[in-house]
Amino acid sequence: MVQAVKRVVIVGGGTAGWLTAGIIAAKHRSRIPVSFSVTLVESPNTPIIGVGEGTWPTLRTTLSRIGVSETELFRQCDASFKQGAWFGRWTTGEKHDGYYHPLMLPQNFSQINLVPHWLARNDGRSFCDAVCPQGRICDDGLAPKTIATAEYEALANYSYHLDAAKFAPFLQKHCCEQLGVRHVLADVRRVHLSENGDIRALETEQAGEIEGDLFVDCTGFKALLIGQTLGVPFVDCSDILFCDTALAVQVPYATDTSPIASHTISTAQSSGWIWDIGLPTRRGVGHVFSSRHISDEEAERELRDYIGPAGKDLPVRRIPIRSGHRQIFWKRNCVAVGLSAGFLEPLESSAIVLIEMSAKLIAEQMPVCREVMDVIAARFNNTTEYRWGRIIDFLKLHYVLTQREDSAFWRDNRLPETIPERLQHLLLLWRYQSPWYHDEFDRIEEVFPAASYQYVLYGMGFRTEVEPQIVAGSTTAAERAMRENVSQMEKLRTGLPRHRELIRKIVQHGLQPV
Amino acid sequence: MTSHELLTPQDHGQLRLLPRRGVEPHFVQIVPSEFVAAAIASPILFSKDPSTGAFYAGAVLGLKPGEGALKSAEDRGGFEPLSLQRDGFFISGERIAIDRANPRFSETEGELLFDEDRQPSPCLRRLQRVLGQLHEGIEQTNRLVRELVDLKLLEPIDVSLSFDDGERLRLEGLYTVSRDSLRELEDVHVLRLFRSGHLQLAYTIAGSINQLAVLAHLRNRKLAEN
Repeated sequence: MVQAVKRVVIVGGGTAGWLTAGIIAAKHRSRIPVSFSVTLVESPNTPIIGVGEGTWPTLRTTLSRIGVSETELFRQCDASFKQGAWFGRWTTGEKHDGYYHPLMLPQNFSQINLVPHWLARNDGRSFCDAVCPQGRICDDGLAPKTIATAEYEALANYSYHLDAAKFAPFLQKHCCEQLGVRHVLADVRRVHLSENGDIRALETEQAGEIEGDLFVDCTGFKALLIGQTLGVPFVDCSDILFCDTALAVQVPYATDTSPIASHTISTAQSSGWIWDIGLPTRRGVGHVFSSRHISDEEAERELRDYIGPAGKDLPVRRIPIRSGHRQIFWKRNCVAVGLSAGFLEPLESSAIVLIEMSAKLIAEQMPVCREVMDVIAARFNNTTEYRWGRIIDFLKLHYVLTQREDSAFWRDNRLPETIPERLQHLLLLWRYQSPWYHDEFDRIEEVFPAASYQYVLYGMGFRTEVEPQIVAGSTTAAERAMRENVSQMEKLRTGLPRHRELIRKIVQHGLQPV
Repeated sequence: MTSHELLTPQDHGQLRLLPRRGVEPHFVQIVPSEFVAAAIASPILFSKDPSTGAFYAGAVLGLKPGEGALKSAEDRGGFEPLSLQRDGFFISGERIAIDRANPRFSETEGELLFDEDRQPSPCLRRLQRVLGQLHEGIEQTNRLVRELVDLKLLEPIDVSLSFDDGERLRLEGLYTVSRDSLRELEDVHVLRLFRSGHLQLAYTIAGSINQLAVLAHLRNRKLAEN
């Protein structure tokens, strides 16, 4: 007789735990509670880390599928809109050096690659502005939609900045009240294995023994199940990505009408970079740096210089980070999601999107019985390892393209031995042809599409050789696309409200579901 | 320019009212008590208030902004939206205010608003009733919308019409009641909708969509005549 998989037990109640619970429970709603259960075990004593407040547009689809209201997200999680990221001083380090990585695709992206045309024109316009309206929308401090746009719909593509410490309880309420997730507040004392090495049950302090068929490890850096219990090793990648410490601080606004940036601002420093994320209630600012290249004191001084007088007496929280991921993510009947699976510096807000993608894969591929679980685990590991690899490549891309010579940190980042081989090959290829649509990043669910590579490469001054004859063949289509971009830009810039103004209206009136 | 002032017999004892002038808007807000009369001649659709995102109901009188109504009030079976009838008049708290700059107001022509005893004239009393109906109607609309949204019965509708002169008109930001969703309603909800009177309104709205084709046909005929 086959051993059915009916009881999913998630350990850990942070963003990873509750998102995973919501995604699995929503997908298997019709089976709950008759033939399926989702239980989330959360320690009443462990604080939530709340990494990164930046997200990807995938979160809109995820939240809408889980069935939560976008209006309530704004009301309860201090959310704001995110339309991309501004990378300041990454290329030359000079004062006005910077570029956008927006969330909108280049105009007519699926039909035409505008890169060679933009390169051939060489008219001084930034790549972002030539192909997409979003950089200017961010410059103007505008929201990506209006109060008359339905929930989760966009006029300009967007994701959110949010208060992670409020996001987890928000999801929890919905999971427990609407999706039938069982919430157990208890500390795990021991993990019991069965004879074959699977996890059989959790022994808890307050709630006795909790048995399960599939366990999801969302215990954060502790990696209680995947690491401590099943011994899956951690693959360190600090030889590629050097940053290993973060100093975080919360900065109040001057007044409650101060503008809110609708993009993440990432400003390069001497040996790392500073994130600056605007929520309606405060800014979250932090310095991510390499302790091998700069002392904590120096790093804090750079952080305080960045914030200016507003940050004078604000307390700074130090967070050690370890870049890397598990060697495998699903072993036996245990799968790791979130920080237990790995962590990378929050340069492109990859943490939450990876949680969504992993949970979605688990929910969709949910093994019917133990007998097929190893097949699915192998698939999951293959896909997830690919994703971590691509994120590492993409983050490293930001460092290898720099022209900065002002510190060992930037020089070391360009040493060939610190650059993954796949990225080296791509950089070679891209000197002669630009990345586009599906010719390189061909998975159906890529974390970062080719468009993201275009924005970073050409935002940082990378040059691809362009043969004039190749461009000539599609000039008309390219000109049309760029014209459409200009008219879309004008339309959006006149029609979109100020970012803070829209958030105020959403909190007051709410967005309509249609 | 608008210039709002509270209506008083002292200030406006000599003021007279003319019929409404000017081109009719192509989309006019209406309230549930008008739905049945409106549906005979106009599509009833929902749109959103651009400043709050709140839904309101409206009758489509024309298909192009600035072009006016395609049917005369007579062709509409006498249907004249309350919000057009009250043109120039507003409710301000418990009082009535007027937009003195509205060309309907005159010192010399039209019907007097107050009689010799400084009491509201029949003309003003008619407008008081219109304002009262509208005021009540907005509340009724809000209740209707709340129920339609809760039951997921509203759906966006993109109207794209091609005309004989080659022009293509798109009406955006409009919503209607989904007949499919109505059919899929659970019995308990059907009963609730029926008892609140909203089921009837929902079908009136859903059915009125056919009037779009009639208006498009009319517009084509007018194009041919010109």
